[in-house]
Amino acid sequence: MRAGISELAIKLRNREISAVELTKAYIDAIEKLNPTLNAYVHLTFDIALKAAEQADQMLKEGDAPPLCGIPMALKDNICTDGLPTTCCSRILTGFKPYYDATVWEKLKKQGAVLLGKTNMDEFAMGSTSETSCYGAPLNPRNTNYVTGGSSGGSAAAVCANLAVYSLGSDTGGSIRQPASFCGVVGLKPTYGAVSRYGLIAYGSSLDQIGPLTNSVKDAAIVFDAVRGGDKRDQTSVDYDYGPSLTQCLEQDVKGLRIGVAEEFFEGINPEIKSKIEEAIALLEKNGAKIEHIRLPALKLALPVYYIIACAEASSNLGRYDGIRYGYRTASYTSIEEMIVKTRSEGFGDEVKRRIMLGTYVLSSGYYDAYYKKACLIREEINREFDAVFETCDVLVAPTAPNTAFPLNYKGASPVEIYLSDICTVPVNIAGVPAISVPCGVDAKGLPIGMQIIGKKFDEATVLQVAHFYEQSAGEVIGAYEGGAGI
Amino acid sequence: MAISKAEIEKLAKLAKLSFSDEELERFTAEFDEIIAFADTINQSIEGGTEQIRSVGARMVSFDDLRPDEVMPSLPNEKILSNVEGYNGFFSVERSKK
Repeated sequence: MRAGISELAIKLRNREISAVELTKAYIDAIEKLNPTLNAYVHLTFDIALKAAEQADQMLKEGDAPPLCGIPMALKDNICTDGLPTTCCSRILTGFKPYYDATVWEKLKKQGAVLLGKTNMDEFAMGSTSETSCYGAPLNPRNTNYVTGGSSGGSAAAVCANLAVYSLGSDTGGSIRQPASFCGVVGLKPTYGAVSRYGLIAYGSSLDQIGPLTNSVKDAAIVFDAVRGGDKRDQTSVDYDYGPSLTQCLEQDVKGLRIGVAEEFFEGINPEIKSKIEEAIALLEKNGAKIEHIRLPALKLALPVYYIIACAEASSNLGRYDGIRYGYRTASYTSIEEMIVKTRSEGFGDEVKRRIMLGTYVLSSGYYDAYYKKACLIREEINREFDAVFETCDVLVAPTAPNTAFPLNYKGASPVEIYLSDICTVPVNIAGVPAISVPCGVDAKGLPIGMQIIGKKFDEATVLQVAHFYEQSAGEVIGAYEGGAGI
Repeated sequence: MAISKAEIEKLAKLAKLSFSDEELERFTAEFDEIIAFADTINQSIEGGTEQIRSVGARMVSFDDLRPDEVMPSLPNEKILSNVEGYNGFFSVERSKK
């Protein structure tokens, strides 16, 4: 069985393996598998080996943090000082930030070993990772299928054991949906629980950084390492979670009230529905109390999400003008022409679509009908979640209405692809935490994910239920053969 | 609600984007579907009149801001490290004589 972060930490401390040896095993696996999987878009092996040497020193000196010497990956929209950070967009070609994102600064101090930056949908806009300017990553479970998105490379790297863990970002499901498609664990923390400083912005009121891991325990360890308030992100909160969220993992689900909203199950693939129902039955059998609840405003969550996210994106992406960094068009006769040509050549179609929609909903005459109304409905969705959490401790739902799409799936219009985010976006709109855990496979052998949603800053109960399910259900999905083999 | 090619052109100008004729045809068709999708919120519950509050877990009021103190800034050479600068400034080709 694949070692988790705690097992590796023990091996490192017992000198059964050094951080350098561990890192080399991951580098070998990446060299072997990444040309096919395309999970990483920038490799940082030299830096990884140096960090591993330092980690070995920290381990020798004793009192090293749990993530010291553990090889990992970052999504390519998380700023790393002096290392490429491109959001997988042509417009950020060659961009090397001059500061570290807070999450990376924290992990570096704890001795993390960065193997590279992972593939993603351009500017995190997509559900398949196929809008990446580097081409799509492939799903390690079946390379004819997509990884999901937008943190597709982060999910593929963890799934194929090309990183022990990775960080992704989740604006409308971008951690949980690829975690579901690749059969790994993905945690979207409460909005504000993790600093967004240095995360290249898409929808600022929705974006949140979180871990993709091979187990719930690993997700708790990584969340512990990156959470906390930050002066450089005014929306972050220094919430008192206690010393470690791993402490809540040993509790069972007896007496916990688990909410099931039928709105989450409308239009869901029957195979997925039946796996989630089996999981709910397992939790009930172990003492959880199932509450059937309603969230009527949920049917509006998807258009509300696309209006708000695109409005924020059209403003956030206004900064890409070719003047200060990234791609600049080759020839122009005026500054205006330079900016328009740079943006038109530098952005891909999906990014342009979302900038255009955002511009539309914010423009005079349409603002009240779309943006303002979407914000009011967002309030209603928040109120419904608040009310539900007065009678439930967590909600259980599918992570996605479908399993992974085939690569280059041509049948879908942009709106059909947007519909695949239907189960994940309400969580971002409400700013609450949620995790996706594997709960089985479909007839094609593709992974299915179950989502556990909690109240704000109650990651403890979310992780507790997820861990209990993971341990009680046993192996619901076959282990991936290959990768670093550790 | 059908959106015209002229409206798309106007939006593109606002968004500082340009499209070829072929792209414009495709975008107009796709945009119609996207707007119809966004429009579903207008066929639903009426929004209330109450104030919109931030979804952020922490409400920031103007009383809550730090004092306006000068903080250290990044050095010029770092800021200019991603482009070819000129005398410590960002530079673009001369476009008007």
